[in-house]
Amino acid sequence: MNAPLRLAFPHPAHVAVEGWSDLANGAIHPLVNPAQMLVVAGLALLLGAQVPLRVKRPPVVFASTAAIALGLTAAGISGEVWQPVPCAIALCLGGVVALGRPVPPLLVDGFCLIAAVALGLDSGVETAGWVAVLKTLVGTLFGLILLTFYTALASSNATGKPWAVAGVRILGSWIVAISLMVLAFSLTGKGG
Amino acid sequence: MTATAASAHSEAGAAGGFASGLLHPVTGLDHVVAMVAVGLWGGFLGKRAMWALPVIFPMVMAFGGALGVAGVPLPFVEIGIALSGVVLGLMVAFTVKPPLWVAGVIVGVFAIFHGHAHGTELPEAASPLTYAIGFVIATGLLHLGGIAFGLLAKWPGGVVAVRAGGAAIAITGLLFLTGTL
Repeated sequence: MNAPLRLAFPHPAHVAVEGWSDLANGAIHPLVNPAQMLVVAGLALLLGAQVPLRVKRPPVVFASTAAIALGLTAAGISGEVWQPVPCAIALCLGGVVALGRPVPPLLVDGFCLIAAVALGLDSGVETAGWVAVLKTLVGTLFGLILLTFYTALASSNATGKPWAVAGVRILGSWIVAISLMVLAFSLTGKGG
Repeated sequence: MTATAASAHSEAGAAGGFASGLLHPVTGLDHVVAMVAVGLWGGFLGKRAMWALPVIFPMVMAFGGALGVAGVPLPFVEIGIALSGVVLGLMVAFTVKPPLWVAGVIVGVFAIFHGHAHGTELPEAASPLTYAIGFVIATGLLHLGGIAFGLLAKWPGGVVAVRAGGAAIAITGLLFLTGTL
């Protein structure tokens, strides 16, 4: 059962751009992995929609958890997460964004934790040599933090502008729709 | 036969999946008119509906798509799709303004038919994730196109144009319903 599903979801390990340093290649990893982009976008929109914008605990929870998860990846304990898992996380995040309701702080922290674990464990590196692996994963950590919280900060500007709030909710519904379709493809073993 | 089979959704990889998904909703006129009608009707119903309907539609459509991909049978899909053009077009043409929840239910019911058809027609995407991204973006852009057109209703002359657009959508749906198109 697992094999065909994995085949249906060829997982893009770290895409290396020739001439770029390991650090830079690690930093762009979330951008070139659509499943990770969905999770990052969902989490960023969720964080940005909170009024007032919470700038203390969520970044700490996200960054520390992602660092631990990436550490486990560096140690070879993980490296790849079954793709429907990040899609299911994105589905929840997108759903909350689409609802447009305030979320309890503890739940926001929980989402940060779960997303960071999934993203960190899903960032396996095929580069040879532990120094290169370490540099790449440090880059990934910076990339994830920067991408998530810069997007959150940018989307927080939407609060107070009805049309922009609506736009964020529409993006949330798109994330839900994409995730739902991918889950359907994966759980039926179709696609690829 | 081989050539036909190979040419259908044969693009490989993520880019192929994205392009395939992006093009799929715009290749069927019955789908296009209904998507545009959702935005158009939302634009007519006012600010809340303008944004609520395009939030509801993709989520319910994806649910219908999931049913289609999973092979769950749904009766009268093609009739439902054609009927969506007729009903939504008439809503716009006659400026029908029901409560938001009623509009949401109407749009949601039709979204299931559209999603189911897409899910059944295209279970084999080159890359499911990028296919889904392209598919949802294209659907959303059609809604936004409808909203933009619907905003013309702010002006007296625009109301006529928008209602005429609704009538054209209803007629198109009717032609699909009767099998003329």
